[in-house]
Amino acid sequence: MNRLTPKDGIAIVTGAGSGLGRALAIELTSQGFGVVGFGRRSAALEETHAAAGALFHARPLDISDAGAVTQTITEIDADLGPVALLINNAAIYPHRDFLDETPDSFMDSVAINLGGMVNCTHAALHAMVARGRGRIVNVATFADIAPLPTSSAYAVSKGAARVLTRALVADLGDRFPGIVIGDWMPGMLRTGMGIPDGLDPATSARWGVELALRLDPDLNGAVFEQAHEVLAPRGLKGRIKDLVLMRKPAKPRHLG
Amino acid sequence: MTDLDADNAALSAQIWDVIVIGTGIGGGTIGRALAEGGQRVLFLEKGPRGHRAEAQGLNDAIFVPQARSVRGYWPDPLHARLNGRHSAFYAPLGSGVGGSSVFYAATLERPERHDLDHSPDRPHPTGGWPVGFDAMLPWYARAAQMYQLSGSADPLSAEPEMPLRAPPPLSSTDAALKSAFESSGLHPYNLHAAIAHLPGCASCLGRKCPRACKMDGRSAGVDPALATGRATLLDRCEVTRLLGTDRNVIGVEAQKNGKTLTFRARRYVLAGGALGSPRLLLASASTAWPQGAGNGTGLVGRNLMFHMNEMLAVWPPRGTPVSGPSKALSLRDLYHRDGQRFGTVQAMGIDAAYGEIVFYLNNMLERSALRSWRFLRPLTRVPAAIAAQLFGQAKIFVGLLEDLPYPGNRVVHDPADPGKLAIDYTFQPELLTRRRAFRRAIRAAFRGNRMTFLGLTPELNFGHPCGTLRFGSDPTTSVLTPDCRSHEIDNLYVVDASFMPTSMGVNPSLTIAANALRVADSLLKEAAI
Repeated sequence: MNRLTPKDGIAIVTGAGSGLGRALAIELTSQGFGVVGFGRRSAALEETHAAAGALFHARPLDISDAGAVTQTITEIDADLGPVALLINNAAIYPHRDFLDETPDSFMDSVAINLGGMVNCTHAALHAMVARGRGRIVNVATFADIAPLPTSSAYAVSKGAARVLTRALVADLGDRFPGIVIGDWMPGMLRTGMGIPDGLDPATSARWGVELALRLDPDLNGAVFEQAHEVLAPRGLKGRIKDLVLMRKPAKPRHLG
Repeated sequence: MTDLDADNAALSAQIWDVIVIGTGIGGGTIGRALAEGGQRVLFLEKGPRGHRAEAQGLNDAIFVPQARSVRGYWPDPLHARLNGRHSAFYAPLGSGVGGSSVFYAATLERPERHDLDHSPDRPHPTGGWPVGFDAMLPWYARAAQMYQLSGSADPLSAEPEMPLRAPPPLSSTDAALKSAFESSGLHPYNLHAAIAHLPGCASCLGRKCPRACKMDGRSAGVDPALATGRATLLDRCEVTRLLGTDRNVIGVEAQKNGKTLTFRARRYVLAGGALGSPRLLLASASTAWPQGAGNGTGLVGRNLMFHMNEMLAVWPPRGTPVSGPSKALSLRDLYHRDGQRFGTVQAMGIDAAYGEIVFYLNNMLERSALRSWRFLRPLTRVPAAIAAQLFGQAKIFVGLLEDLPYPGNRVVHDPADPGKLAIDYTFQPELLTRRRAFRRAIRAAFRGNRMTFLGLTPELNFGHPCGTLRFGSDPTTSVLTPDCRSHEIDNLYVVDASFMPTSMGVNPSLTIAANALRVADSLLKEAAI
């Protein structure tokens, strides 16, 4: 069956100490998955542990440190089993005017938001490629499309992360149909990084986990916003071409 | 020096019993037989080892050489001068552990007696192979066991039966086709396939099998060879030159990670494919071998043959329940007809679905006079969409027409660009006449079935090159001895499809494997002395 089950292995959620990451960890453990939570703050991960229960394992870690990530995922593989699911959720959003950034502070954000995703993905793929099976969901945003003021480092790194998803699909999609990689936009949430009247992260996390457990090869490269698929925009010219070439227009999928 | 460099240097420093260059059906099979026979074997493979769970098929839309290489595809286009006109395209060739065979459809069929032997009523175009059908029979049987062949016996054959495992049950469409063919007086049988049919078998025809289920040069050759502990594999290591004196190879020069390395062995087995192996011999020209290694006669690379593919769509009788694509049926009613050498007719393993038709039409376009009009490519979707409606659940069959050896058809080597894969091939009038007769024979044989030919122009099967280093008893008309050793170089052997004097009327893989086992046996006996 094209669906991940707890028997497939462990799930890793980055940024599991707060907000959406915590909600994703709780949702996954409630469905019987062993979850390893990454985060920089030990105390915050312990709070997630308390809420998510015994299936949750806290691993305090700076995901921008490639060596530490590789070592930790190797240990997880040995102690808890192979990584079947990686949700790249961790990100920082410093809200800093570009003139107030230093090149170093800017690149620090890139190192976490993009570098962390590269580090975790590279290490997690090791077990996935060996078994030809696995799922990677990258928590994404539209921040790169029309960057808001004070979002330069965030918008750049999150935009690049979306390119990373597509580049990974280009490299792996045809070779490993059992490894499914895609983007998911959780929506505006009521979290520390979100907005006060946003969506309850627990609600969003249910969609995120539902998407993360689906392993259909044709979800490779798919982009979802909350519970709906977002298709690449197609202009009038493209639509006319589809008509002439007798191509059926794709229909967006829903997590129902 | 890095650890990796140190490892390579250690491989470089030893004298191996045998170095096998190339790891397809030929190299993989002989490497396994030699390692199991106690020899210390080093496999040198130009392409990557790859990841065992990979499942990609060949894809000529991928054109970045590094991206092709990492997938196990031959990285560069084949430059083909066909009837004097130049074209370049990606041939269905692999470059990685298992070679092209990891992408094959695993059809391993034994040829007919007349493919190898001369007889008054079925004269052989070269007078016959130096090793005849009866001498090859035990090796065919051993290869059939090694590659776990399943299928059923050809009802038309009077020859000893092959050791075949029971085939999986036919799908409803194939069963309906089989009885329709039988009603037309034909003799279909379950095609001989090198698939172990493990539980959950996805029958990986045309793509890499993630398990040891499809039997190919990797799963039936290199992997078991490595399991003996006596074989070592060095991948992404391209042999560029054989080094030697007069009658001996003393080493091979190879490129690995941008470094030039030399490897040495008592004996060298070349298995780089019928396009790659002659190219390497020609690239090894030196003062000792002015025309290239083993090329005193100038025959290296000549007598290149392919099969000619006649593709046809056949519809099962109306009302047959739909079932998925399969590659289950084969028939030899037209193999040799009215004194003419034709070949086998077998299922392609694809349905006439939209994607396959687009792919096929684009390939046709690529080799036509319209090939430079790139904007036409998307337009093939229109006839393809119409065809997909029209064809419905038609099964595609292919008639393999034997190609015959002509010295002018050859692998071309350019010393200024030694890595370039290039051929010169002219369609002989004899072949075109025989093709028309084959098409007439197919049409007559399938009378009573709904069928149509899919190709108009002659289509070579670029995945079946052979003949470029033919074996024979006479050193003036052949490159290799009957034992597949170079006539001119005593410790150099060739076991890929290059050795075949004629292309036969069947897929070449089983013959390559059987011959590799035969050569391994003579090498082991020689080593024991």
